[in-house]
Amino acid sequence: MRRLLALVLLVQALNIGLANAAAKNLVLVVTDPYLEMRSGPGRGFPIIYVIGRDELVTVLYSRTDWFKVRSLHGNEGWVRRDDLARTLAESGEPAPIPPYPDFASHRWELGAGYGVYNRENLVTTYLDFGLTTSLDAEFAVQQAFGTLDNRYVASLGLRHTFIPEWKWLSPTAGIGAAYQYVQDKVPPAPLQKTNEMAYVSLGARGFITRRFLWRVDWRHYVVFNNQNVYEDLEEWKFGLAVFF
Amino acid sequence: MEIRLSCILLAAALLSGCSWFHRGHKASPDIVAEEPQAEPSIIEPQVTRRVVKTPHIKAKDFELGGYYGALSIQDFGTNPLYGVRAAYHVSEDIFLEAFVARSKAGTTSLEDVFPNITVVSDSGRHFTYYDLDVGYNVLPGEIFLGRGRAFNSALYVTVGMGDVKFADKDQFALNFGVGERLLITDWLAVHVDVRDHIFETSLTGRTKNVDNVEATLGLTVFF
Repeated sequence: MRRLLALVLLVQALNIGLANAAAKNLVLVVTDPYLEMRSGPGRGFPIIYVIGRDELVTVLYSRTDWFKVRSLHGNEGWVRRDDLARTLAESGEPAPIPPYPDFASHRWELGAGYGVYNRENLVTTYLDFGLTTSLDAEFAVQQAFGTLDNRYVASLGLRHTFIPEWKWLSPTAGIGAAYQYVQDKVPPAPLQKTNEMAYVSLGARGFITRRFLWRVDWRHYVVFNNQNVYEDLEEWKFGLAVFF
Repeated sequence: MEIRLSCILLAAALLSGCSWFHRGHKASPDIVAEEPQAEPSIIEPQVTRRVVKTPHIKAKDFELGGYYGALSIQDFGTNPLYGVRAAYHVSEDIFLEAFVARSKAGTTSLEDVFPNITVVSDSGRHFTYYDLDVGYNVLPGEIFLGRGRAFNSALYVTVGMGDVKFADKDQFALNFGVGERLLITDWLAVHVDVRDHIFETSLTGRTKNVDNVEATLGLTVFF
C-alpha cells in the first residue's frame, strides 16, 4: 500500500513538473519570409518544414548552435541560431536568444591538456574563475607519468592576462602554490612522499571558436623539501578549454 | 488508521494532479505599479511598468551514459569491459569527452603453457583507465529504418590521452577511436565504438608499445 502511494505521489510530482515545463517554453514570431526547419541539428540535414512570416514558433531547447522548435501545427525541427535570432518575441522585442559569452570578459573556464612535467608525460585538467577581466584564479589537478614514479600535483594560483582584448593571442603570467604527491613505481621509495611547492608561470591564450579556447603554459616550480638544496622543476603544457 | 491516512494522502495526490489540466495556461505577466508620489502634483502620472519575464531556453549540450563491450589486452586475451562516459558538445562538429572504464585481464600464453609462472599478480590484473578526448563528427547524417523511420546519426573520430592502470602501475596512454552515434530520440543515443589504447610497457620482457583495442556498445542521455 505504501509503495503504491509513493508511486502515485511520484507520478503526480512528475505531472506537475511536466505541466510547468509546458507553460515555460518561449514563443517567437517569424519576421523573415520563412523560417527553415531541418531534421537534425547540423548544416547538412534536409529542410523538412518551413514556417511562414508572422507565424508563431515555440522554442523547446537548444543543442550547440541549433534550436529545436515546434510550429503551430505541431511540426518539429531544428532551426539555426542566426535564423532564430532574427525573429521577434510576442511583445515585439528582438528574440531573447542568449548570446555567446564574451571571450574578453568570460567568467568560468574548464579545460584539459597534455604537458611535460619534469621531463615526463603530464595530463592536466583545470578550472579557472575570472576575478576581473585580466586577473584569474586557477585551480589545476595534474598527473605526471614517470619511469620511476607517478606524481599527482594540485595547484592554486593567480594569473594575469596582459591584454585581454587581444582575442587570438594574449600573453599571460602567474604565480601560485602547489602540492605534490609522489607514488613510487620502482624502489627505493622517495625521501619525501609529499612536497609543498611554489611556481611562477608564463603563457598565452587565444580564442578558437564559439566558447572554445586554447592555452599554452610554462611553469617553473620550486619544491620545498627537508634537504639542503631546493629542487627545481619545469613544466610545459598545452590545453583546450571551454568558457562560460 | 494507516489505511485512512493513506486514503487522505491519495486524495491529496489526485487533487494535485488536476494541475495537469492547466498545461499551456500562461502565467500572467507581473505588473508593477509605481507608487504615487507623496507630494501632491497637478498631474498624477498613471504609469504602469511591465516587467516581462522571458522563459529560459534549456541547452542540452551534455551527454552522459555507460558502455559495455570487449577489451583485447595485448598478450592477456580479450575480456569484458564496462565504463561510463560524459561529453560536452562545443559545436555541431566538435565535442569533448571523458571516459572511465574497467576490465580484468586473462592469462598470457606463457602462463597457459607453464601454469607455475605468474606474469602479473591476481590483484594487478585489473585494467582501469581514464581518458580525456576531443572528438569530431566526420559524417553526420540520417539512418533509415524501413519506409517511415529516420534516425539522426554521426560517425565520429576521437583522439585523446589518459591513464591506464595495469599490473598495479599507472601508464600514460594515448587513445584513438572511431564511433557511431545513433539518436533514437533527441535525448537518447546508442553508441558503437572501437578505440585503441596505446602505452609503453615492459611486462612481458622487452619494452614495447602495446595496443589494447576495445569494441563497445553504449547508451547515453543528452541533458
